Amino acid sequence: MANYYDGLLKLCGFEDDEIGTEGPRIEKAFQKLELVSEDMKTAEKRITKYHDMELSGVRKLIRAWLLELTDLVLARDEGKKVVYYGYPSIQGPGMAMKVASKQEIYVGCPDVVLCHTLGNLFGKLTPILETAEQNGLPPGHGLCSLQQVRNGGLAKGIIPVPDLVTGSSYYCDMGSKADELLQEVYGHKAIYVDGSMDSKWGEYPDYLPQRVEFLGAQLNKMFATVKELLGVEMTNESQDKAMATSRRLFRALGELTRLMMADPMPISGVEEEMALNLTAASTGRSITEGPDAVETLCQELRERVDKGVGVVEKGAPRVLNFANSFSDPDITQMMEDVGLAMSISITTVATPREYIDCAITYSTMGEQRAQRAMIDGFYHSSFGIAKRIEAAVKALNVDGVIWNYQFNCRPLSITSHLVKKWVEETTGVPTLSLESDLYEGRNYSAAALRTRVETFAEMLRARKAFAGA
Amino acid sequence: MEQKLLIVAGVDIGAATVKAVILDGSKVLSFSIMPTGHSVTQAGESVIRKALENGGLSFNDLEYIVSTGYGRRAVSFTNKAVTEIICHAAGVSSVISQARTIIDIGGQDSKVIGLDDNGNVANFVMNDKCAAGTGRFLEVMAKVLDVEIGEMGPISLMSKDPCQMSSTCTIFAESEMVSLRAEGRSREDLLAGVHKAMSRRVAIMGKSVGFRKEVVFTGGVAKNVGIKKALEDEIGLEILIPEEPQITGALGAAILAKAELSKLGAR
Repeated sequence: MANYYDGLLKLCGFEDDEIGTEGPRIEKAFQKLELVSEDMKTAEKRITKYHDMELSGVRKLIRAWLLELTDLVLARDEGKKVVYYGYPSIQGPGMAMKVASKQEIYVGCPDVVLCHTLGNLFGKLTPILETAEQNGLPPGHGLCSLQQVRNGGLAKGIIPVPDLVTGSSYYCDMGSKADELLQEVYGHKAIYVDGSMDSKWGEYPDYLPQRVEFLGAQLNKMFATVKELLGVEMTNESQDKAMATSRRLFRALGELTRLMMADPMPISGVEEEMALNLTAASTGRSITEGPDAVETLCQELRERVDKGVGVVEKGAPRVLNFANSFSDPDITQMMEDVGLAMSISITTVATPREYIDCAITYSTMGEQRAQRAMIDGFYHSSFGIAKRIEAAVKALNVDGVIWNYQFNCRPLSITSHLVKKWVEETTGVPTLSLESDLYEGRNYSAAALRTRVETFAEMLRARKAFAGA
Repeated sequence: MEQKLLIVAGVDIGAATVKAVILDGSKVLSFSIMPTGHSVTQAGESVIRKALENGGLSFNDLEYIVSTGYGRRAVSFTNKAVTEIICHAAGVSSVISQARTIIDIGGQDSKVIGLDDNGNVANFVMNDKCAAGTGRFLEVMAKVLDVEIGEMGPISLMSKDPCQMSSTCTIFAESEMVSLRAEGRSREDLLAGVHKAMSRRVAIMGKSVGFRKEVVFTGGVAKNVGIKKALEDEIGLEILIPEEPQITGALGAAILAKAELSKLGAR
């Protein structure tokens, strides 16, 4: 007899025999998530509307997200230790923890998983947010919705109470406060990875060694605590192993980013975002399912590129964007609908070589990660971000920049003005500072943002036409 | 043989009012302004019919229509929809060619638009999320003070000591206004305070674009002389107002309709 979720799973690339084996797990997760038959229909409609389901790679990607959601929801029931990290996280430690663990362990960022699944696929994030609003993160206080997602997920009992949380407080002050609140309510352990965000305008790519030493000490403290609490020893070897484990996925993502630069852009930025953020959310399915999904997608996109098939007009203005919405694909689609090739996310642009080749090296694992975070620029300072965007604009020869910043994120919203001014002055490329919400859809709709984006697209087209005349 | 007129229309479907301009070549044949009401589709059609009627024309005389404003996609009779920012730039440049900055304050949003030396949009900033700095803010304050919208400007200019309003939210500003009124502040001072607060919001918003001469003020709120003065005080520049500041978006849409028609003719 058919199950109420069979149609959705088939749509998302699950084979019949797999539905037989994975179905009961997924059903159990769906029950916890209060996803009923009606939600399957909604999800099917949303997925068909927002995703390119003709492509096997896209189906595999969505399948990976659904499996990651299932793993998250059932982690405790399946006897795993559970570790959550915050977003944005310092790249590396989560995966290193996963590969170093000798026991079954779930390591991931539930906030990002829920945004991409309950938000993007099911359009059902609001009940989670409202639950958080009744549980210590009230509405109208300008609180980051990403923190509300985790809070609501725990309060509703749909994600397990973790054994350990490693905070993202090195970049986000609200993350540590939200973790503190949850720690008080649920009694789990939390490690706060604090950093010092102070840096002079104009300093990057130089940095104060003290900043690396401080953040490095915080990370080393985290590694020690993980060993003490979970018996997981993260070493240089496990870091290297983590890097090796992720290499295939990152190689495929690099190829995806290159293919997205084709003219016309071969696929919506919605899919690129789903692929890229799998790495931010997951240390599980991103590795087991991610590489094959992204490689399949790349193969299909190569065929599209060869045939000159795209989702926006050939010659459409190319825009470097900060990030696409995690949970509301309507916004990215609107940007493409007005004729912008939105394929490039700043998070995928490689750090320029001259920034990486720096003299100071550190001996401890924590300091090495901290130094890397500093070199990348995003943690360094607003100037670091501005310089990275300037370099990317010049290297990729884009027509415009959209800095669609999270309105209630202090580092990002303050940076918005500086980035716009700097990029326009140093590159001459128009920059749209777009106040938005990357994580939920209640504050900004595609319709509300459309006039700004459409005008920006018109501006860029006029500039391109003028330059070509 | 008499050459056939190439008559085009621009229709601006705004939150508070709808505007239509009928253009023959570069000449404005007629225009019309109406409240938007409950149906943007109906309002869009009514305003264009009224403008045609004013010009002694019918729908069949129109060769091309461009719609703009927040309801630009809600009407089916147009050939193209263009954002109001682009249309305001085209409309204002056609009447004041030296314009380099446009301040447009409508019923539901406000914008500051920077123009390049050819009159094209070079930069812009827009507020449509919050009612502060929009015509809606003035409507709320007019209601509290029981003043007709059209009287607000002249009354405010009589103020000797404008009130200081610190709230940046329309709802909170309404409460603040009620408190100031209870303190016995004069209507002139209260209205001047309202205009000052609103102008400050717009000036701060527009700082990222910058205010370059000539600065042109459009939208329904541009008819308020009190706001004009307060804005001039805030930005330190003289502000020009077109003869019909409410129709520059529709005029720009009509000008773009003419351009589109020329492109089609050239093919």
